[in-house]
Amino acid sequence: MSKAKKIAAIISVCVVLLAAVYAVVYAYLKIPVTYDGSDTNVVELYNDPQNYDTSDPDGVADIIVKENLDKTMAVNNVSAVVFDWRGFDTLGESFILLTAIAGSFVILGVHRKKTAAGKVQTSEEMKGGDQE
Amino acid sequence: MKFKNGITEKNVIVKCAADKILPFALVFGIYIILFGTISPGGGFQGGVITASAVLLLYIGYGYSTASDAVKQEVLRVCEPIGATLYVILGLCGIVLGSVFCRNVFFADGKIGDLISAGNISFMGWTVGFKVLTGIGFLILLMLGLLAPEFKKSGAADGELMVDEDDDEKEVDE
Repeated sequence: MSKAKKIAAIISVCVVLLAAVYAVVYAYLKIPVTYDGSDTNVVELYNDPQNYDTSDPDGVADIIVKENLDKTMAVNNVSAVVFDWRGFDTLGESFILLTAIAGSFVILGVHRKKTAAGKVQTSEEMKGGDQE
Repeated sequence: MKFKNGITEKNVIVKCAADKILPFALVFGIYIILFGTISPGGGFQGGVITASAVLLLYIGYGYSTASDAVKQEVLRVCEPIGATLYVILGLCGIVLGSVFCRNVFFADGKIGDLISAGNISFMGWTVGFKVLTGIGFLILLMLGLLAPEFKKSGAADGELMVDEDDDEKEVDE
């Protein structure tokens, strides 16, 4: 690896890190906080979870609980979260499965080819063995 | 037909149990995939339950019957098709003027019907299809290593990777 390549790699990594730091600072300063936990009484929730007032959640939970039927028409909130609100997550999960199966296909494909070729040989061998 | 590990010689009880459980497993898994959006369940779980039919076939009848009944090539081709369909359904949200994976086709039917949830239902079905074909293919691929035909053919070729089998061959000779 030449020096120019190393310098280019270091510079690109630094640019990515600077962009990430800028994004974090921007999000911290400019974007308003949707949930800060100030309305949640943790002691009361822990002591008496049955009678705790959950009618007014805040943050993202507010949107998901109150506007789910209007936005998605899905009775099952969990599937709405999995396939709509967090669709990227499900996409990544299914691609993990795809990658795992592709990897095992590459590794075990040699054996699989042998198995497919071995059937005829095996039956012939078995017949020959029985005759003998 | 005698093999060392006795995979092809099946007990009658095991075979009958596999026969009886197989249709129920298929119907139950497909039910879970189809109704994943309006009841507990979903694509991943239903796909794995449906793919267990391959395992039941293997338990009851051995590897050769299972690999004859379920085509590996079809499963291998169908899995990326399911993943592509998921991405296309997700991109429908962008095409119709919203964000990725946004639910767009949901104006049909009453709340609680099978396709009332629109895009969420279709995406659940594609995930179920993908997991069903993928896990079925993976099970067949891995069980192929346990098949007695493979062991026989490997010993005949003399190219088996495991050293123990070479030792066994020497002992047999």
